[in-house]
Amino acid sequence: MVDALTRSMRASHILVAILVVASLIFAVIGVANGDTFYLRLGTEALIFAGLALSVDILLGYTGLLSLGQALYFGLGAYVSALVLMVTPSFWAATGAALGVAMVVGAVGGFIANRVRGVYFALITFGMAQVAAKVVYNTRALGASDGLIGVPIIQINFGFAAISSASPAGFFLFTLAFIVILYAFAAYLLDTPFGRLLIALKANERRVPFLGYDTVTPRLLAYMIAAVIAALSGALYPMLRGFVSPELLFFSTSGNAVITVVTGGVGTLVGALYGGILLTLLKSVVGSYTEHHLVVIGVLFMGAVIFLPRGLMGIVRPAIERMLARRMKS
Amino acid sequence: MTYKTTMLAALLAATALSGAQAADPIKIGVVTPLSGTYAGIGQQVRWGLDLATKEVNAAGGIMGRQVELIYEDEEANPSVAVQKADKLFQVNKVDFLTGTVNSGSTLAVGQVAERAGKLIATTVSFADSITTDKCSPNVFRVNARAGQQSAALAVWLSKDKPKANVFYLGPDYEMGRSTVAAFKSAAEKVGATSSGEVFAPLDSKDYTQYFGQLRSSRPQVLYTSVAGNDTVRLLTQLQEFGLLNNLTVVGASGTVTAQNLPAIGKAAEGFVTGVGYSAQIDTPENKKFVAAFQAANKADPDLYGADSYGLIYAYKAAVEKAGSTDTDKVRKALEDLKWQTPQGEKTLRAGDHQAIQTMYVVRVSGGKFMTVGQVSGDDAIGPDACSRF
Repeated sequence: MVDALTRSMRASHILVAILVVASLIFAVIGVANGDTFYLRLGTEALIFAGLALSVDILLGYTGLLSLGQALYFGLGAYVSALVLMVTPSFWAATGAALGVAMVVGAVGGFIANRVRGVYFALITFGMAQVAAKVVYNTRALGASDGLIGVPIIQINFGFAAISSASPAGFFLFTLAFIVILYAFAAYLLDTPFGRLLIALKANERRVPFLGYDTVTPRLLAYMIAAVIAALSGALYPMLRGFVSPELLFFSTSGNAVITVVTGGVGTLVGALYGGILLTLLKSVVGSYTEHHLVVIGVLFMGAVIFLPRGLMGIVRPAIERMLARRMKS
Repeated sequence: MTYKTTMLAALLAATALSGAQAADPIKIGVVTPLSGTYAGIGQQVRWGLDLATKEVNAAGGIMGRQVELIYEDEEANPSVAVQKADKLFQVNKVDFLTGTVNSGSTLAVGQVAERAGKLIATTVSFADSITTDKCSPNVFRVNARAGQQSAALAVWLSKDKPKANVFYLGPDYEMGRSTVAAFKSAAEKVGATSSGEVFAPLDSKDYTQYFGQLRSSRPQVLYTSVAGNDTVRLLTQLQEFGLLNNLTVVGASGTVTAQNLPAIGKAAEGFVTGVGYSAQIDTPENKKFVAAFQAANKADPDLYGADSYGLIYAYKAAVEKAGSTDTDKVRKALEDLKWQTPQGEKTLRAGDHQAIQTMYVVRVSGGKFMTVGQVSGDDAIGPDACSRF
C-alpha cells in the first residue's frame, strides 16, 4: 500500500536523482576545464545543504523551529578540525563528531524540548549563542581567530583513497556523503517513527490519545538533526582547512532556515536545492554588489509570498501526480 | 542553476586561458568588508588602495603594466573571505591579494594563499599572532601590530612618567585580556609598577563599582583597552567622579577613535595612545597624501587608509625589483624591502614579514588627536618570534 507520504518521498527521490545527475555533469565539465573554484564552491554548497537538511527534519517534519542549528554544525566542524590536527584520519574525525553530537544533542534536546513553539526557537537560539561566545573566548580553540592549519587528508576506503585537496574528488565524495544523509533521513521519516513525528507536527495533544509517548520521539528527532548537522559540519575543515567561531553564529543558523523555506519546508530535497541555490547566489551576486544581502532578502520575501511551498512546491506536486497515475495503471 | 553555473565556469575558464601578455594589467584582489560592522574600515582600505593605484597607473603603472583592483566583499567573516579569496586566485587569477580586516580572515586567507602558491598582505589586522606564532611565508603585514602599539606607548610612558604606578581596566573577553597582558609586560619592562587590574564585562553600563579599587591603589596612569560605547561610559563616569584629575588615561588605539570622540567630549581630553599613523604627522609626504586623499574622498585618511595606500607602493617596488610577478621572486623582493609611505620609511623584516616603522604617540587635545611623540621603529618592533621560515 502506497500512501501520500510514501508517494511524496518518492517524488523527492526523483528530484535528488536529478540533482545527482546534474552534479555529475557539473563535475565532468569542471574537470574538463581544470576548474578549482566552482567545484569547491559546489562542495561548500553541499555541506551547507546538509545543515539545511537537519533544519528541515525539525521544521518540516517535527514542527520545531530551531534557530540554533549552527551549534551542531560548528560543533562538528571544531571536533573534526581538532581531531584532524592530531591524527589526519577522516574516519576518526567524523566518528568523533558523531559521538560528540549525540551526547551534546541529547543534553541540548533535553533542555530545549521542555518548551514548545516560540520558546523552543528562543532556547535553541540562546544555546547556540552561548556556545559561540564560549568558543570565541577560549584560547585553546583559537578564540576569535579560529583554528588554521587543518591538514589536507586522504580519505581512505581500503581499496581507494580520495584527497580532500582534489576539487573534483572531494566534491563527488561530499555529494555521496550528503545523499547518504538524505537517504537516511528519508528512510527514517517513512517508518512508523517518522509518521509519529509528522503526527506531532499536526497535533501534539492528540498523539498521547493514540497511545504514543511524545517526549522520546521529539528528543530523538532533535538528536538525529544534531547528528546530521554535525556530520555536515565535520566536512567543512577538510574542505577549507580552518574553522572560525563565525560558523556558530546566528547568520549560519538563520541562513539554514532561509534555505529550507526557499527550497520547500517538509520536502527534504528542498533543503538540498535551496542550499545549493543560496550558496551560489550569494557568491555570484556578492561579486557584483555589496548590497547582496538586500538581494537575498528580497528573493527570500518573494519566495515566502509567492511560493509558500518553496521551490519544490513548483515541481514536486506534478511528479507526485505522475507517480499516482502510474501506480493506478 | 547548476547547469548555468557550469556554463559560467566554462566561460570564465576560457577567458582566463587566453594567455597573459606583457601589456595585461597586474591584478590585485581585495577581499575586504564592504558591508556589515566593519564596512567603515573596508571603506578606508578601498579609498587608500584606489588612490595609490590611480597615482601608480597615471605614472605608467608597474613595469609598464597597469594595475587593476578587483574587490570582493568578505562581510568580516572568515568563511566568506576564504571563498572569495579562492575565487580571486582561481578564477580571476590575481597576482596578489590584500584587504582582510579581522585577524581570523587574514589567517584563514593566508592559508588559502599558501596552498594556492600566492602572496597576500594585510594592511589592517593587528593581532600579533599573524607575524609571530601563526606566521606564514606567504603573508606580509605592512601595518603596525598590537605589540608595536603597546611598545610605543610604554616607551613614551617611561619617558614622560618614569616609574609610574599603573592600573589596568580591560573588557572581560579574550582579546581584552590579552591586550592588557601585552601592555602590562611592555610597561613593566620599562620600569612601571602595576597596582592592580580589573576586567569589566562588555557593554557595562556602570563602571563606578571599580572606582573604589582604582582610588585605593592611587595610580598615576590608567591603562584601558575598552572600545566603542564602553569607552564613552567609562571616561564620562570617571570624569563625573572627579577621578580624571592627576590621572593620565592611556589605552589601545581602538579605545578612543574619531567615531566615539564626539560622544566622550571633554572627558577624552588628555587621553594618550600609540598608533602607526596620524593625519597630523608633520612631513611633506604626509601633507601631500592627506591633501590628495581629501580631494578624492572628501574625508580624512585614518591609519587603515594610509597603510593600504602604502602597500601599493611596496608591491610596486617589489615587483620592479624582482622584474616579475612570480610568487617566489616577489617574496624575496619584499623581504627586507625599504620603501616610502606617508608615515615615513618602512622596512619589511625578512624574519617574520612584519613592517618596522616609526610609531607615533598621540594625545587628545581640544577634541583632536595631536602627535606628542614618536618612537623609532627599532624600539617598538620587539624580537622576531616567527620560527616557520
